[in-house]
Amino acid sequence: MSKQDQKTRTIEEINQKIIKGDAQVLTAEEMKKLVESSGVEVAFKEVDVVTTGTFGAMCSSGALINLGHSDPPIKIQRAWLNDVEVCHPGAAVDLFIGATNSCEKKPFEYGGGHVIQELVAGNEVELRATAYGTDCYPRAAVKTTITKDDLNQFYLLNFRNCYQRYNCAINGSDETIYTYMNKLLPRMRNATFSGAGELNPLMNDPDYETIGFGTKIFLGGGQGYIIGEGTQHSPKNLNGTLMVKGDAKKMSPEFLQGAAFTRYGTSMYVGLGIPIPILNEGLVRKTAIRDTEIFTDVIDYSVMRRDRPNLRKVSYAELKSGAITVNGKRVRVSSLSSLKMAKKVAQTLKDWIDEREFTLTAPIERLPLDTVVKPMRQTQEIPFVSNVMHPVVTCMENEEIRAIAERIVTKSVNHIVVIDSSGKLLGIVTSWDITRAMAEGKKALADIETRRVITAKPDEPLESASKRMAQHNISALPVVDSDRKVLGIVTSEDVSKLLGR
Amino acid sequence: MARILIRLNENLVSEPVVSEVILENKVLVAILAAHINSKGGEIVLEVPDEEVDKIVSAFRQKGATVTVPKLIEIDSDRCFNCGSCVALCPVEAISVTKDLSIQFNKEKCVGSVCNICVDACPARAINSVRYSNAEHMRSSSSGYREK
Repeated sequence: MSKQDQKTRTIEEINQKIIKGDAQVLTAEEMKKLVESSGVEVAFKEVDVVTTGTFGAMCSSGALINLGHSDPPIKIQRAWLNDVEVCHPGAAVDLFIGATNSCEKKPFEYGGGHVIQELVAGNEVELRATAYGTDCYPRAAVKTTITKDDLNQFYLLNFRNCYQRYNCAINGSDETIYTYMNKLLPRMRNATFSGAGELNPLMNDPDYETIGFGTKIFLGGGQGYIIGEGTQHSPKNLNGTLMVKGDAKKMSPEFLQGAAFTRYGTSMYVGLGIPIPILNEGLVRKTAIRDTEIFTDVIDYSVMRRDRPNLRKVSYAELKSGAITVNGKRVRVSSLSSLKMAKKVAQTLKDWIDEREFTLTAPIERLPLDTVVKPMRQTQEIPFVSNVMHPVVTCMENEEIRAIAERIVTKSVNHIVVIDSSGKLLGIVTSWDITRAMAEGKKALADIETRRVITAKPDEPLESASKRMAQHNISALPVVDSDRKVLGIVTSEDVSKLLGR
Repeated sequence: MARILIRLNENLVSEPVVSEVILENKVLVAILAAHINSKGGEIVLEVPDEEVDKIVSAFRQKGATVTVPKLIEIDSDRCFNCGSCVALCPVEAISVTKDLSIQFNKEKCVGSVCNICVDACPARAINSVRYSNAEHMRSSSSGYREK
């Protein structure tokens, strides 16, 4: 067979070409265009490597630091970097700083991700540590400043990066919620999504043919390696993840950025790119995947449970268009990860290979293809609103205040819920409202009822209903279904009986 | 141009306050929004930057309450172009360009009366700044990404 008709090539052959400066490298974006215009056969002949990239908030990231020994030596028990408490995973002076660890002085605004970014940028960071002191490690406290150059090792060590795809988040409730998918406005006024879609590394090699244990990658502006599947790796339903490691001393603060999500906490944006060797025509077809073929689910994050309602399937092409339709309504969508930076990752990796600074590695072991995510085994039940809610005393809007006052006395309740003829929630009146109406001589219920009622759902945890009552300084929440039909009521008394507060 | 919010109480709504201020100060203003009824009113005006102080004190002398909304500034050094803010903006002042950069249109932005994007920026690149700093801010910041 002549070389022209060759149907496969090896990583070794590609590396020879890279070293000679002959390798043909395209970014994932360029590859898709080439396959569309010239077909699979031509693309296989012309292209040796396709570079992919993603740049998103990856909370399960962190860095392993070895400080070196102080004199006298200390076996650190607790430590802080710029007032962010870090974990102490091993002996004496090894620290692990997680991206979501929060600063004690600026909680939710500054955290582990920011500290890592500062170290990577070459900035000085303050270290404080305490210990109980032993005969071999006598010191009980240390305070100093460090830069990355002072550290023996400074490795990025991320347990779960590079999610193949992610949910699109929306909020079906009446209140703004703040989540790790960022700010979600009430009544589905916006939606957010994450992930690079067709540029995502794992989407371009979904069978893990070339991406595996030992694959050399672009990580945070430097080089790193895949050291296994990521936690919660679930490749069968296209939710693959990676565990990665790389020398943070050689990374760049442009591709590792601390982030803060209001009322959620801190995180870190990580730039990650993987070169995909085009070993056969099958990989040409895989790397030709388009956003129109990649789907995810629109999930209602206002439901405070592990399994949240799935409202529809949506493609990354629709998500990237800036608006989707949910329940017949146009909803504007924002990306949480940076598509501009994802493209920059893929382009930088391409430049490295073109300039012979980066060669490919064959995986030494394949990643599992069959793992699934199990839920937590729970040995204790927690109470939900449906466990404590009880029947509610109701009235209609045209009733006289006197009649309602009588009902409050005979039923001995403090809250009366105003409903329409189909049982849907209209408002609420309390015994206090009635007392005041009597004192002021008001006759019409419409003048005193509260119409903006804060409600609870039967399947939400009692804890979150209790939190909402405290937030709004109220003592009861009518429980309604998705059609706002009144099912019952939950009061602060119910909560204190069960949760003991 | 700077935006100011004028509030009129029920005694003032029947007076030609806006016309008086315009004629007495010989300043051109644009009325961007006005909600007025017998109980009071709110008017959003756009006035030239150099006339803001004069106009604000003129309205105050006539008994109106004046607030000067702060402006939004996007710090392009901090912004990593994720786009979290885009779909939140009710007046579509923030958009994504062809090269996937975030573009901020200051003319559309209503400033601190809204501020919905400020706490949604993971890079904390969006700040609410006072109008009095506006001149300084505009000349010093090359990354404003104006149209």
